[in-house]
Amino acid sequence: MTRSITLGQYIPGESVIHHLNPRLKIVILVLVLVLLFLLETYSGLIFALALAVALFVLAGIPFSYLLRGLRPIFYIALFALIIYFFFTSGGVVLFRIGFLTVESEGVEQGLFIVARLVALVLFSLLVTLTTTPLSLTHGIGFFMKPLRYVGLPTEEVAMIMTVALRFIPTLMEESQRLMRAQLARGADFETGSIFRRARSMVPLIVPLFVSAFRRADELALAMEARGFRIGAKRTRMHQDVILFRDWAVLFFVLALIVLALNINI
Amino acid sequence: MSGQSSIIIEAKNVDFLYSGEWETVTPAVSGISFTVRQGEYVALVGPNGSGKTTLLKLFNALLIPSAGEVLVKGISTVNEGMLPEIRRSCGMIFQNPDNQLVATTVEEDIAFGLENLALPSEEIKKRVLEAAATLGLEKLLKHPPHLLSGGEKQRVAIAGVLVMEPDCILMDEPTAMLDPAGRHAVLEAVQQLHRERGIAVVHVTHFPEEAAGADRVAVLSEGRLVVDGSPEDVMTGLPLLHDLGLRGTTAVELASMLRQDGYPLPPKILHDRELVDSLCSLEQNS
Amino acid sequence: MFVGTEQLTHVYMPGTPFSTKALRDISFSFQKGEFALIIGPSGSGKSTLIQHLNGLLRPTSGRVIFEGKNIGRDKRDLLHLRRRIGLVFQMPEEQFFSETVFDEIAFAPRNQGFAENEVKIRVDEALEKTGLKGLDLKGRHPFQLSAGQKRLVAVAAVLSVNPEVLILDEPTVALDNTGRDNLFDLLTELNREEGLTVIISTHHLDEAAALASSVLVLKQGELVMSGPAEDIFSERDQLYNLGLALPPVNEIMHGIFEKGFSVNTSVYTLKEARREINKLIRRDKP
Repeated sequence: MTRSITLGQYIPGESVIHHLNPRLKIVILVLVLVLLFLLETYSGLIFALALAVALFVLAGIPFSYLLRGLRPIFYIALFALIIYFFFTSGGVVLFRIGFLTVESEGVEQGLFIVARLVALVLFSLLVTLTTTPLSLTHGIGFFMKPLRYVGLPTEEVAMIMTVALRFIPTLMEESQRLMRAQLARGADFETGSIFRRARSMVPLIVPLFVSAFRRADELALAMEARGFRIGAKRTRMHQDVILFRDWAVLFFVLALIVLALNINI
Repeated sequence: MSGQSSIIIEAKNVDFLYSGEWETVTPAVSGISFTVRQGEYVALVGPNGSGKTTLLKLFNALLIPSAGEVLVKGISTVNEGMLPEIRRSCGMIFQNPDNQLVATTVEEDIAFGLENLALPSEEIKKRVLEAAATLGLEKLLKHPPHLLSGGEKQRVAIAGVLVMEPDCILMDEPTAMLDPAGRHAVLEAVQQLHRERGIAVVHVTHFPEEAAGADRVAVLSEGRLVVDGSPEDVMTGLPLLHDLGLRGTTAVELASMLRQDGYPLPPKILHDRELVDSLCSLEQNS
Repeated sequence: MFVGTEQLTHVYMPGTPFSTKALRDISFSFQKGEFALIIGPSGSGKSTLIQHLNGLLRPTSGRVIFEGKNIGRDKRDLLHLRRRIGLVFQMPEEQFFSETVFDEIAFAPRNQGFAENEVKIRVDEALEKTGLKGLDLKGRHPFQLSAGQKRLVAVAAVLSVNPEVLILDEPTVALDNTGRDNLFDLLTELNREEGLTVIISTHHLDEAAALASSVLVLKQGELVMSGPAEDIFSERDQLYNLGLALPPVNEIMHGIFEKGFSVNTSVYTLKEARREINKLIRRDKP
């Protein structure tokens, strides 16, 4: 059962994108996201979308993941389209439904906004699909460091995130096991009213909490036994080094951004 | 080991009382005096709730005695400034391998203790690779712990202690949740470290066969040290073990039954081999 | 065929890069009233297989048979099936959620829709069968019980719907000697007196070996051996290579046999060993 559970969305691979330094990946993602907001023309946006798709191919990620990643924004996109189509005026009247009119300006703006949203999601997805959760955590931890000066215990927060990542699969597996154990005793989680279904969750939640607390307790003990102390200075085995290759990619991306902004004009 | 070798752990008349409502059911330990010398392999046995785990935690300064004193290499565990050294010197392996691995990959987990010591990253890498090679984990370095077998997880935990270059490994029923192959691999690894590097071991176990292989066996009951002696003496003392709900090794149990049937078997049979040999010579002579 | 599978294959997370074949092409059958063992190292697919036997998992391909019928089509069928085939998970006491022992045991009969007075009778019967009746535990909180009592309550919680087949996943893990003895006494009685078909998945053969009628051996999701217990257990080397160990007492008998004495080696308990050795040594003396 253990082997069936994996964490996050990470798809293992050996592409350039997979091997890019996670800190730089985050920097590049932020740059690209800013760029997407600066883009004002269709040609620039289409260029960005094409680039995103090309990078998915380069990373060797199946298109099914691309589509699956877009699913959560489907309704947001639909909502945006409706708002823009019906409530933005300007340009030529394309058609009327009762008192509502759809004008060309609205259609153009709606499609543009949705395309930008799709591009945002695709680039973010590309980073989460090609970076292990751990590297992402460390990357984010790095950029949180300045927050230490305003009193946030950044080292501890980073440790908490790592431990959470470590235990999510364990707890997921546990909840699955609990659910099956209660099913074996005739529990029913699927039929009946919402109230009934909510009540049928009690046999899952109680033992899940008990076990989570017991695990947390034991883990804290094990960490202490291995010399972990809050606030004490620590080092890292893998100092994440930025290679020449990483810099090269960063410059390449900057060049692309300049190019995109030029297409924009 | 000889009497001259230096003392790693010394408990002097130690009491421990749990406070707080959660722990009231667990008996404390009381009046325990106990030493572990350099290079010794000590088995700690006793029924559930007899205080074995509490004692291990006292040795590692996870608990501080309510009365008496625990010294690790001469340093009292009340000495908070010395905690990093005490825990480096006496590493601990817990029963449930799932709840002691901290990091998301094997190598990062082995490195955890060294990172806590704030060693330079080159030194950490070197020691992690060495420990992984010693425990046969080279191929698993990049794996997430939750995809390992129980035996592999326990070996990762041992590697995480080994990198600290400890004087003593404290183990709390490390094989209770493993299959025979996993159990064998873990015991083999610990015995190798004990033999080849002279690392002392305190091993809490339910398995009489594991206790029989130690240099010394200590029996706890209701927080007190009942016996402390060689496995030949302690593990063959069936009346006491049975009284406490414990067992001797299979050879000890069977030998005792056969003695009742009138066979003149030698008194200190502990291992399978000894019983087989005595029975065969008995049959040949008859 | 009473319980069994035909070419059962199970794939976890099919169609993703993480898909794993947990079971391949497993076919076997157990008769009514058997005491069957499913053995294999951890990760060999034991848990996956037994979860198929009461419809918790659906085959990726192949069939699961109970009383000659392919089981698990619609949901009402499954509820009915789970009344007849009870499954006790590994470390079942970790799944307790009720405030009282009574409610914990009553969970299954209540789910089956029994009236409350009927539920009461069922709970009493289950407590009776598991030998807990005299202890007046009904109103106690399950967490207050000893480890052995908790395990028995977990079994009672499944027996409370009077299943015809009782499946247990690693039933003795983390129990001490007394707890193990009590549990096996119960299983023996249920099997012999009540005619219950008992199926145990385990890697700890000690107590189970002497009781088993049929044995399946799994390795990495494949059925590598299956047949009557005495045939499987006579393949000692093969079991050893699979990382499985026969009970220590069997090792002793083999030791004697290898020294050239004709002693029966299909011996898995101390009592049997005592009898066999007596037979051997007294044989040529009047």
